[in-house]
Amino acid sequence: MSGQAITETRILPVDRPFRFESGRTLERIDIAYETYGCLNERRDNAILIEHALSGDAHAAFYHEGDKKPGWWDCMIGPGKAFDTDRYFVICSNVIGGCKGTTGPASIDPATGSPYGLTFPTLTIRDMVEVQRILLKHLGIDRLKCIAGGSMGGMQTLQFFCDYPSQFESFICIASAMKHSAQQIAFNEVGRRAIMADPRWNNGNYYGDISPEGGLSVARMIGHITYISEKMMQEKFGRIRKDKDSKAIFKPSFEVEHYLDYQGVSFVKRFDANSYLYITDAIDNFDLMASISSKERFRGQGRDRGVNFSDLRTKKGLVISFSSDWLYPSSQSKEIVRLFSALNVQVSYTDITTEHGHDAFLTDYRRPSELIRGFLSSLG
Amino acid sequence: MYKISAENYPIIEEWIPPQSRVLDLGCGDGSLLSSLISKKQVDGIGVEISHEMVLQCVQKGICVYQADIDKDLSEWADSSFDCVILNATLQVITKPYKVIDEMLRVGRFAIISISNFGYLRNRIRVLSQGRVSSRIRLSETWHDTPVLRFVSLKEFESSLREMGIEIMEARYFFPLNFISKVQWPVYNLLAKEGIFKLRRLQ
Repeated sequence: MSGQAITETRILPVDRPFRFESGRTLERIDIAYETYGCLNERRDNAILIEHALSGDAHAAFYHEGDKKPGWWDCMIGPGKAFDTDRYFVICSNVIGGCKGTTGPASIDPATGSPYGLTFPTLTIRDMVEVQRILLKHLGIDRLKCIAGGSMGGMQTLQFFCDYPSQFESFICIASAMKHSAQQIAFNEVGRRAIMADPRWNNGNYYGDISPEGGLSVARMIGHITYISEKMMQEKFGRIRKDKDSKAIFKPSFEVEHYLDYQGVSFVKRFDANSYLYITDAIDNFDLMASISSKERFRGQGRDRGVNFSDLRTKKGLVISFSSDWLYPSSQSKEIVRLFSALNVQVSYTDITTEHGHDAFLTDYRRPSELIRGFLSSLG
Repeated sequence: MYKISAENYPIIEEWIPPQSRVLDLGCGDGSLLSSLISKKQVDGIGVEISHEMVLQCVQKGICVYQADIDKDLSEWADSSFDCVILNATLQVITKPYKVIDEMLRVGRFAIISISNFGYLRNRIRVLSQGRVSSRIRLSETWHDTPVLRFVSLKEFESSLREMGIEIMEARYFFPLNFISKVQWPVYNLLAKEGIFKLRRLQ
């Protein structure tokens, strides 16, 4: 493609208190976001993209001087699944993250030092509420679609159920209504790896060396769960990188180098405390419980949809991947069952791929066709 | 995929009350559901195994669920649909009895269409050429055709009786676009296809 589209992450400063679902409040927050394409005159062509655990606001196009585009550039752009010639696409960094939106690494104005573990407990619903502030700022109250994969799918479902009148449709990819014991277990091992690193120091490591060892182990575990056993075998097998090395326990297998690389590159761009907060929010997410609880209308939730009859005219697309063992197809089918019961016109497809959970970022051909077709059918 | 032409759509439309909740098994590109949605305002869901067909349904705005009819019908609750349709799809199913049983669990009534293997032309072909199906084209020989079941109208009807299923209505398609409600004496020889509206005997 000639002439790469350049973008930059913008910051929306919100100088009024934000109340978390836990009841705790931050006096002010920043929201980092990017937009692609143009909002039309009727302001009805907006699509909100939700990122996953390690994602950020930079979903598409290139930042000045960067060699790599945003994390979902294969799906967002002119003529792509989320066609920026037709739609106004928005993506923001989640609260609790570390890519511009306020998170544990941000400075607490009250103390002048980073929040660390004084940052409030985080939920998926908190992430959604912060994005509502952004949408209000952008002057958008109705969206064509909300879409996301993995944790992005959780935000999608939460947002869609809490404010059904704001959306025409949703697309939920490789996600779940709640984590299974196995999914919680993997996240817990990741968190323990971080907390077992002495440099973590109860979350007070800012200005010093961060718990890089722990965070990279957490990321390595993550990467094992993101790809299928078959693909890992095909990619690495038992190939050794440095056969002649005599050093004991030094990574020598190709797969060890791959994981090491993933871990090391992750610690350069991600904050360990954010990893703890966000994985905790994911593990505690339970869509059914959250939409049926009385807490639904507390705090920021006064405008939440009173009943689900609003969902009757809505459309949904749920996509799973055949080799995704972290978020198996059965969890996507559960989502379909719930939304069918709520009378949403929901379609489901299980895409055959060897890419495992990572397919939502890497195996984009079939999902692109489906998403393009789905969005066009909305008119 | 093997598909009967749309000539039975008017019969299906006649049998389905407006605003019904309809499940179309093996919905293909969603053309039957499209027609039912526009003409009978049904609330319809299609089930389809092929990715290409699922894509075509999604493009049309038809609600579709990618699944294997032989395995995945258990996901729907009892009586969650008014009508479950199996149009020209029985032939590709491995466990027809189980699927028919499930259709009448999930839906209050079912519509099943089949092509008649007892039809004269089929009999002549088997006798003269020794081939089971003219549908088997050059690219699709006996071992890779999706068609697994060869059944005549008479055999199918007696199976339904065995299963305790009532034929509420039936139509038989003869050559020259002649459609009859009546079981003529030689219908099993002369009809190309049949379509049945079914429910479980109380």
